[in-house]
Amino acid sequence: MKILVCIKQVPDQESRPTVNQAKTWAGYDENASYWINRYDEHAVEEALRIREMIPKTVVDIVSLGPERVKSAIKRCIEMGADRGFHLYYDHDDYLSPSIKSRLIAEFCKNQEYDLILTGVMSEDMMSGQTGPMIAARLGVPSAASVIKLEINPEKQSIQVERELDSGHRCSMELLLPALVAVQSGINRPRYPSLSNVMRAKNTEITEIRGTVSTSAYEYETVERISEVGFNRTGIRLEGTPAEKAAALWQLLHEKFLL
Amino acid sequence: MNHSIMIMCEQSEGRILPVTYELIFCASLIADRYDSGITVVLPGNIAGADSISGADLLVINSPGLAEYTCEGWEKAALLAAEQIMPDIIIIAHTSTGYDYAPRVAALLEGGCITSVAGIEFIPDGIRYRRSGFHGKLDLLYKAGKPPLVITVLPGAFPANVQQAEPGTISYINAAIDPVFTSNLQFMIPDQSNTELEHAEVIIAAGKGIGKAENLQMIREMASCFSRSAIAGSRVACDNGWIEYNAQVGLTGKKVAPLLYVACGISGSMQHIVGMKDSKTVVSINRDPDVAIFRHSDICIVEELEKFIPEFIREAEKHTVKGKKQIPIY
Ligand SMILES: Cc1cc2nc3c(=O)[nH]c(=O)nc-3n(C[C@H](O)[C@H](O)[C@H](O)COP(=O)(O)OP(=O)(O)OC[C@H]3O[C@@H](n4cnc5c(N)ncnc54)[C@H](O)[C@@H]3O)c2cc1C
Ligand SMILES: Nc1ncnc2c1ncn2[C@@H]1O[C@H](COP(=O)(O)O)[C@@H](O)[C@H]1O
Repeated sequence: MKILVCIKQVPDQESRPTVNQAKTWAGYDENASYWINRYDEHAVEEALRIREMIPKTVVDIVSLGPERVKSAIKRCIEMGADRGFHLYYDHDDYLSPSIKSRLIAEFCKNQEYDLILTGVMSEDMMSGQTGPMIAARLGVPSAASVIKLEINPEKQSIQVERELDSGHRCSMELLLPALVAVQSGINRPRYPSLSNVMRAKNTEITEIRGTVSTSAYEYETVERISEVGFNRTGIRLEGTPAEKAAALWQLLHEKFLL
Repeated sequence: MNHSIMIMCEQSEGRILPVTYELIFCASLIADRYDSGITVVLPGNIAGADSISGADLLVINSPGLAEYTCEGWEKAALLAAEQIMPDIIIIAHTSTGYDYAPRVAALLEGGCITSVAGIEFIPDGIRYRRSGFHGKLDLLYKAGKPPLVITVLPGAFPANVQQAEPGTISYINAAIDPVFTSNLQFMIPDQSNTELEHAEVIIAAGKGIGKAENLQMIREMASCFSRSAIAGSRVACDNGWIEYNAQVGLTGKKVAPLLYVACGISGSMQHIVGMKDSKTVVSINRDPDVAIFRHSDICIVEELEKFIPEFIREAEKHTVKGKKQIPIY
């Protein structure tokens, strides 16, 4: 089996995004920390588990983004992935999933992956588009929000269980090659082992630059960014922790909740 | 410019789901402004289509559309788009919608905006609003070359109740058969949790509690209130701190207690849909910009480990001796 896991590096959610002057996009200062999108870590773990079940499986990692994403790819190799590919793309504005999926699908074309794994969405942008779009561009089936999967090598198929709304579920069998967008809860991602950390030191990440021209397409753009509005009063309590605690008790007491 | 708007009807077991009327409302905002046509596409044979007004209907009949499959719905949408030539396609942001909508956009070479929470009109056209950057900022999108596929959050628009004229109904008889998908099975796991359903006060733990041991602090806070229960965000459940049957949100429970206290929960849209009808919402979070604060009545910027013990101490001060509250968890 040949498996590809698509990973996105996302900023730590407690970092504050700063809106640019034109109010068209936001960035982070150099102190911001980045990590692997949580759902993608589950995807990597799932790929590694398949490799443990099916001998001769190769697990590749691909990430599209600026130079810093190499560290996220490296971390996946430390977890146990075999090879890393960096689709270099430096941008400081909105990058449409349509473009991302074009570039990743283009990368996949001559690689003949049996299974492509993505996360169900990215934690920061939450679009949930990139995976299904890659699959559509490659002409393979896909399933989003998968919380269980099992490969059937004889039938060249994969059994998946999707999570639906309100906790309902649905299972189905998809023919391989296929793309699966995984949901959290599918597994517990492992920590890198010492031997894999050592191995990662000697594993080259292949950088690929400018494979496809995307300028011919005109996709949606972000025109303006604004602070979010409040749906409720959003009173902020001030003072020391003890003062805030006393104020909260008083407010809840007045509402007859205490 | 008038638009041609196509809506994919959201259905379950052959019945139209209410969110479809929200999509029609969303489309009618555009249609009223630009004098545009709306067509609702019904994949499969759906009962109750006569309840749809103010739009034309296009029924796609095919045995392969008896149940939802990604490939079936994709093909139905493409077939309908060929006939309708829409420049805007509206799909609900549900577990079916986000499964196939981006594929439809890719195959039509159009743009795609998911989880749309609102639309705005400016002199030169329509803008679509959704949140991004971990829910901390609102983004206004502009369409590129048509068609544009949008998925609309359930609840973002009121349901259409307009008593408009019924439109025309047309039919396509197609032979859509799943090629890649087989052995489809639907399951409803038993996730009942009566404590949570009856609780008047819910103390919910998120990833911010950091470790299982801190659950004790959450339980103690709950015991300051009567008729209280504890719950968790998805991450708290994924980490094994809270049972899955106490998960609040899109894939968990929808709760509406008198008081909901979110402890170390960021307030992603998938969590908010599960608790937004609570009477009073209090949030404790150390990040002053966190998204949950916009859905809260009372916001406390603080480390949980510092604040919660103080609160418990404060509550104990006021408790009449021997009359401690009895939580129902
Ligand atoms: C299809 C789908 C369905 C989903 N369904 C659900 C659902 O039903 N329910 C649900 O909850 N989620 C659901 N999610 C996941 C959701 O998108 C979020 O990932 C999840 O809600 C985040 O959980 P959290 O807020 O606990 O964690 P995080 O987002 O990691 O937030 C943790 C918060 O804790 C704060 N914090 C950290 N340490 C401290 C401290 N010491 N003191 C105070 N604050 C601290 C941080 O500032 C942060 O805001 C779903 C996702 C998808 C894709
Ligand atoms: N820049 C990227 N590089 C590689 N994979 C990505 C990238 N962005 C998104 N993905 C994949 O697509 C999934 C959904 O992302 P999104 O469409 O941004 O919500 C993620 O979980 C990743 O698996």
